[in-house]
Amino acid sequence: MPTSKKEKGKIKGGYFWKILWVDLDREEAIPLEFDDAFALKYIGGRGFAAKLLWDHLHKGPIHPLGPENLLVISPGPLAGLYLPASGKTSFASISPETGIYGDSSMGGSFGAELRQAGLDALAITGKARTLCYLWIDNGQVKIIPNERLRGKGSLETEGLVKEELKDEHAKVATIGVAGENRVRFACVNSDWGRNAGRTGIGAVMGSKNLKAIAVRGSKDLPVFDLPRLQRVSEASFRSLRENKNFTFWQEQGLMSVIDYVNEAGVMPTFNFREGTFEHAKKVNGYEMLLKYKIGDTSCFACPMACGNVCLVKEGKYRGTVVEGPEYETACMFGPNIGVQNFAAILKANQLCDELGMDTITAGSLIGVLMEAHESGLLSERDLDGLHLKWGEEEGIFEAVQRIAHRKGIGDILAEGCLGVMKQWPQLRPIISQVKGLEQSAYDARIAISMALGYATSDIGAHHARAWTIAKELEMGMNWPLEKKADLVIYHQTLRPLFDMLGVCRLPWIELGFDEHRYAEFYSAVTGVETTLNDLLQRSMDLYDLTRLINMKFGISRKDDYPPERVFTLPMTEGPHAGKILKREDYEEILDIYYQKRGWTRDGLVDEKKIANFNDPLVTS
Amino acid sequence: MSWKLAVVPERCSGCKLCELVCSIHRFGVNNPKKSAIRVMVVYPHPIIRMPIVCRQCKVAKCMENCPTGAIVTKDGIYDIDEEKCISCQQCVISCPFGAIFLHDEMETPFKCNLCNGTPHCVDACPKNALLFLPEHVLGQAQRMASVLKYAHMKEVEYVERGERKVLKYADIEKGKGED
Repeated sequence: MPTSKKEKGKIKGGYFWKILWVDLDREEAIPLEFDDAFALKYIGGRGFAAKLLWDHLHKGPIHPLGPENLLVISPGPLAGLYLPASGKTSFASISPETGIYGDSSMGGSFGAELRQAGLDALAITGKARTLCYLWIDNGQVKIIPNERLRGKGSLETEGLVKEELKDEHAKVATIGVAGENRVRFACVNSDWGRNAGRTGIGAVMGSKNLKAIAVRGSKDLPVFDLPRLQRVSEASFRSLRENKNFTFWQEQGLMSVIDYVNEAGVMPTFNFREGTFEHAKKVNGYEMLLKYKIGDTSCFACPMACGNVCLVKEGKYRGTVVEGPEYETACMFGPNIGVQNFAAILKANQLCDELGMDTITAGSLIGVLMEAHESGLLSERDLDGLHLKWGEEEGIFEAVQRIAHRKGIGDILAEGCLGVMKQWPQLRPIISQVKGLEQSAYDARIAISMALGYATSDIGAHHARAWTIAKELEMGMNWPLEKKADLVIYHQTLRPLFDMLGVCRLPWIELGFDEHRYAEFYSAVTGVETTLNDLLQRSMDLYDLTRLINMKFGISRKDDYPPERVFTLPMTEGPHAGKILKREDYEEILDIYYQKRGWTRDGLVDEKKIANFNDPLVTS
Repeated sequence: MSWKLAVVPERCSGCKLCELVCSIHRFGVNNPKKSAIRVMVVYPHPIIRMPIVCRQCKVAKCMENCPTGAIVTKDGIYDIDEEKCISCQQCVISCPFGAIFLHDEMETPFKCNLCNGTPHCVDACPKNALLFLPEHVLGQAQRMASVLKYAHMKEVEYVERGERKVLKYADIEKGKGED
């Protein structure tokens, strides 16, 4: 790496100017320094992560589960600050699940703590000789071997590490058994149930023999103009609290989405075949409030408290405690696999959390097997003794256990949908996935913008990049494809911007929080007057970069199609019965989309743009 | 009249906004580790989120144990006189609630001084888990809860349009104990 010092001084806050590079092979930690231009261009969060991964790819090929893969944990310049929901941090790597760029954003306080430890990002490469955890004490790193943590659950590990460090205030990101066993959709847990859920980051940690990362930080966060930040933030908190949906949101959180999607007819039901679930009322937010919820939980600095703590008070699953469920979990382990018992959803959620695996992918794969079993695509023998019928609770728990431990059929499922399709090619048409990532819990058959959003998301079929379904439903379906492509691109620009800054998108989505405020926050913190459009432009550029990374793995137009079902299988019930998307409409909107992004008809980024991203990171 | 900062742990969601505003107002920095209130989280058995903050005890253990008389009191509010404090940390250890804090960049321990009468954490709490109440009101929430519990157990007779009726409150609506 070049060592020339470049310009510094324009940015007056927001950064510690330190990315810590940990090499587990050499057991060393090197601080990397960056300059103004770097910070202005990549902002932080997934921006820093994508850039570091891009540079790392230039050193040689990367196998997702090889020691050469790079795990970047990067909070963003607004994380940890006094502004709404500043508790997000990005976990990024080359994904074991999809084999391309992958990231997942985690809530809780881990990111805030990492920043207080004086780090703008943490990059980890190599592989430890024995199972270990990292202890980052105010920026000082120690690699602590601990074989005794093997086989321990995610939350259990969090407790054990805090106990060993004798520090209840330390923040600990952990993996469960699934991560140790390199289940390709293993997740990372922190704060007793906040997860970086998607794209299998937990398996990357597992492949590095890294069971946990513990952080303690006590530094002041650098803010250029604190009184200004305070002014904007106080008004922001007020506007959120005055929103008429504020209390409702605190009560139900994302569980309120169940009723909404069911009424709208877009709730994945029976492996994405239907869009409404007869028993939705048994698994909705009101059911949770009445019988299960015992408390609220928030991520760092968030007034919305959308986390629910639930307890099963009676029956078979009595004593089950979980932070959740979030909507995705409730849907994928509920209607999508025919479960109408809320307590069973909580049990499945707790199991997945403790074992450390993504509930969306696990629920999706179990749904696929259930359908395959019902339709005869898989035989009893294929199922290896698993009882998988719609709503069969014991079979579901058994499947989850087998996946985590890679036992029998679990070993196939643990490879994610790509592995499942390799083993049983006949299942390809019934798996809802894009680029190897299973679709999250919103149907796309009736909303072409949602299909486009899934298909062109840089990590695969996840709603985090573009959740346009509500807008498309609200505006009626019949508006020009061009406008719909614009909507998708706006979402794919604004939503990843939140991940670059280190804040949560939910205030904007759910309580109508004005996105322009983020430019004010950024300006107050960095001392660089910046408009929302400036920030959006950088997020837009970053989408080119993640595409370039994916192009290195052969991604092009052929990979930008929504799950097959959206073209072939109409729902039989609900407000959208009979509807499917037309292939020619999709081809057209994809053409428009590429054109607007300035990509070729084949979905490739212009070679000339590559030079834009080869600016060197300055080392100290 | 003396006012008290009261905590309702059942309501706390653990967002730490109280810590953030405390550090900003007290020390002018964005640093939850420099706050005189600290949210403790216990999980999963039992699940508790609870802000720990000074109760301004009338018989103050911190004051009794301070060897240099650095704990000073005015209108029922206790604070640490940095001039007199020798940072022996006796107060930190002797506080039964752990409500006096240390930070590696600070010379002396620090504790809540109720922001000289307008505690900012109370305004910042989005869950109303922190209350600033006149002293005589403290315990009212528990008293109300106790009363409502009693009502739940009882059948109450009343007369409506000349007709005698029996009502069991528990059948109508879950009672809410407000402060």
